[in-house]
Amino acid sequence: MKINKLLAAASLVTFCFASGAASADTLQMWVRSGIGASFTKLVEAYNASHDDKIQLTEVPFSELVQKYATAIAGGQAPDALSLDLIYNPAFAAAGQLEDLTDWAKALPYFASLSPSHVKLGTYEDKIYGLPLSVETSVFAWNKDLYQKAGLDPDKAPTTWEEISENAKKIRALGDDTYGFYFSGGGCGGCMIFTFMPLTWGAGADFLSEDGKTATLDTPEMRKAVGYYRDMVKAGVVPPGAASDTGTNFLSITNGKIGQQNLGAFAIGTLVTEHPDIHFGVSLIPSVDGKTSSFAGGDNFVVTKGSPRAGLAKNFLEYAYSLEGQKVMAKYGSLPTRSDIAAEVLKDLDPRMQVGVDAIAVAKTPYTLQFNDLINSANGPWASFTNAAIFGDDVDAAFANAQEEMQSIIDNAQ
Amino acid sequence: MTTKKEARARRALFSAGGYHGTGLLLAIFFLAPFAITILSSFRHGTEARLPPIPPWPTTGVSLDAYRSLDSFGAGVWQHTLNSAAVAIGTALLTVIVSLLAGYGFSRYRFLFKNALFVLIIATLMIPFQSILTPLFIILARLGLNNSLIGLTLVYVTLQLPFSVFMMRNAFDAVPKEIEEAARIDGARDFRLLVRVLLPLVLPGIVTVAIFAFLNSWNEFLAALVLLSDNSKFTLPILISAVRAGRLGAIDWGAVQAGVTVMSVPCLFVFLLLQRYYMRGLMAGAVK
Amino acid sequence: MTLADTVSLPVRRPRPKRRSPRRSQWKGLLYIAPAMALVIVFFILPVLFTFWMSLHKWPMLGGTRFIGLGNYIRMMSDSRFYSALGFTAYYTVIITIAIFALAFPLAMFVERQRRMVGVYRTAIFMPVVVGLASASLLWVWFANVDSGFLNPMLAWLGLIDLKTNFFASFDSAFFIICLMVVWKVAGFTMIILLTGLQAIPTELGEAARIDGANRWKRFIYVTLPLMRKTMALSLILSVTGSILAFDQFYIMTAGGPQNKMISVVYYIFNQSFVSFNLGYGAAMSLVLLFILVLISIFQLWLLRVGEDRP
Repeated sequence: MKINKLLAAASLVTFCFASGAASADTLQMWVRSGIGASFTKLVEAYNASHDDKIQLTEVPFSELVQKYATAIAGGQAPDALSLDLIYNPAFAAAGQLEDLTDWAKALPYFASLSPSHVKLGTYEDKIYGLPLSVETSVFAWNKDLYQKAGLDPDKAPTTWEEISENAKKIRALGDDTYGFYFSGGGCGGCMIFTFMPLTWGAGADFLSEDGKTATLDTPEMRKAVGYYRDMVKAGVVPPGAASDTGTNFLSITNGKIGQQNLGAFAIGTLVTEHPDIHFGVSLIPSVDGKTSSFAGGDNFVVTKGSPRAGLAKNFLEYAYSLEGQKVMAKYGSLPTRSDIAAEVLKDLDPRMQVGVDAIAVAKTPYTLQFNDLINSANGPWASFTNAAIFGDDVDAAFANAQEEMQSIIDNAQ
Repeated sequence: MTTKKEARARRALFSAGGYHGTGLLLAIFFLAPFAITILSSFRHGTEARLPPIPPWPTTGVSLDAYRSLDSFGAGVWQHTLNSAAVAIGTALLTVIVSLLAGYGFSRYRFLFKNALFVLIIATLMIPFQSILTPLFIILARLGLNNSLIGLTLVYVTLQLPFSVFMMRNAFDAVPKEIEEAARIDGARDFRLLVRVLLPLVLPGIVTVAIFAFLNSWNEFLAALVLLSDNSKFTLPILISAVRAGRLGAIDWGAVQAGVTVMSVPCLFVFLLLQRYYMRGLMAGAVK
Repeated sequence: MTLADTVSLPVRRPRPKRRSPRRSQWKGLLYIAPAMALVIVFFILPVLFTFWMSLHKWPMLGGTRFIGLGNYIRMMSDSRFYSALGFTAYYTVIITIAIFALAFPLAMFVERQRRMVGVYRTAIFMPVVVGLASASLLWVWFANVDSGFLNPMLAWLGLIDLKTNFFASFDSAFFIICLMVVWKVAGFTMIILLTGLQAIPTELGEAARIDGANRWKRFIYVTLPLMRKTMALSLILSVTGSILAFDQFYIMTAGGPQNKMISVVYYIFNQSFVSFNLGYGAAMSLVLLFILVLISIFQLWLLRVGEDRP
């Protein structure tokens, strides 16, 4: 009896706690932290100019998905979510997202929304997610270090032989200066983003067309691994890379890294936060010299049954307006609408254009098992990148990863 | 005679030197990581990336690291306040619940007494990470999800095995005669507990309280899963956001500041109450 | 409900002097009621629920499906589960030995009543009071190759190359984690052992000394046997804690180079919250619980044995 009373009292108190935050016209929305300022600024701009409010909760990016899934299980999910687009198929397949098809198709600029995002947001011909932020991977180099190493600071390398050679020259500059960087300590997300394009450009992929067979072990992948292994062996990669699980993904910001693959977000970050670093940007060469990229970023999704879906749509329309697109681009997110991209980027750093160009050659894998295959810190791709590049037995690394990927795919069927 | 005495004195001196030398080395090993971290956290932001050699600010004391820490989440004050509320609440509730339970288990006989005691102790053996989802759903049913109170109740439950064990032993150690004497004086049950026994088991209470405080202050995973509001997150979640890095780079200065903010209150509470705490811990362990 | 039933039963023969056992019985239950309520709501119910989940294919998103013992059958052929068990056992053995190897000498060191001993005791105990997460974080930084303290210091001593990345290989990363855990936990075990040491009557040692036993023999034949109970207690705490280890691997190495540091709880966590196979995670939790109960019964048996001795 006492306990009941206590619980009642406790829940009453909780209720008071909670009711201060939620009112009818406030949209609860989650984003992953560490994503950059573009989205926060967009929300600030929206809240300043509208009566309805968006309330943001930043969740550590490595825990966002599990937290959202737990919240759904407990019936406490937020209204909307900025969801890493690669998770979109899995969430849609689970039937947890609101169908946006009719509304989306009625948008006058629907056809010019980032195609990769719309594709990932589509499940069984229905649209559950729409692009919120677009991010492509690009190659960047530090112009000052190029100059010091006697290289032409305005000429982007176009092959990996060239990148390796440049890396060695930059490494020769001294103790703390390194030629190349990547997060090789089992960061699946980082490596699919920065490393996989090496093989994509050459026409190889890690999954068969129908997504049912793992095809990791290709000559192209072996070649790509070879380039990275050689650079590690030559000592042009900082030793910390071997255990970096993504926390130091943007090491180039310390000014001591000659070259690395990074995201277009980073262009904004570098320009605004590290103006002292002079860098160039170009498309990532593949192992055969063509170019490729990974189209990443977030989709905007609405939790199924959210009573504030209308408000969510309002907000999204604002994000797609010229004003909204400009706010986001200013803080590093690429335009999601190709029809006004040129206008949005007009006054911004010209290097952003490279990120937009990358969209044309970019790929995004479509698989319900993306998390287990690629992104999980303990998945086959994450451990493969570490084992193949830093380990002693490349063949075993290929064999293990290939086998584990296949078993994950088979188990899910 | 004299030489023998001198030799003995020399030996004593030598052994004292050896003893204190060892003690000093041990103290350094166990304390240096704290000292280095705390001192390093006051270095300038520009130094944060560099190894702490020497491990103190060389270019003047700066609060850069704390400012950077404050820019994560809802600000370091808010999260510290949340953590303090949860930790103090957990400590209080744990003391009350385990005091009563310890008294009950020590002084009364009832059906299934041993089985119930083992049941409480068994809580220790479940990796609570694995019952988080059911916990979340139960809390949601009670309307206690995303609330610091719900989190506190979960923490109290996690503390119970140790605390009840501790308090039962503490009551067991109180001589029955004291109780009998008080009973003759007319003190009964609850009054007896509060007036007579409470002071006698105080070290046990302090131990239980400190353990509850420290563990709930430091807990990460349950807090992360059970809370879903920026403004309600506790310190460890803030720290994990710092660890995850921002804009693709980890700010070691903020990490040091975070570790400092997390550990200094623990060290302080411990130093303040360590006499009781050690006594309680040792009394509990004797059984 | 039980409470109400007990209360409503008529008291058969009121005794004027002693309290009635029935009265005493429901009073005892009343005292433990809050604790039991919490344990039932936040422990028993979730565990029962976990059992229920373990019989289902239970993705975190979407519908659930009853599959009977399917999860348990899957476990039997899951090589990753076995390697997690193997690693956990390996870690438990190594860390327990390491903790005891340090804590025992420490306890003997701080047992002697000398000046400053309180200060040393406090210093050694300090790391115990900070959280495992903070301690892990502290040591991640400490052992970081670019910004840490360990590398410059050890390089200065000539022990390692300045650019050695401790977290790049299993052995060195495992060493750092063990070092951290020992640093953090040794003080606690030391205090538990100290209580055992102090409970030994000094006369016993004196008697043995007079009989001509040297220091080492006195330790083996007098001290150790009398410490049996205390050792069992600290052993239970250390082993249980190690089997449930998670934070240090999650924070310090994220599972270690090439997933070599996935403990059982880590694997359960991954299956439940990363791959969202809640049913499978629940089944593994219950197996782990079963293992822990077995180990604890064994250790409690050790404790019992201790009681028979003088």
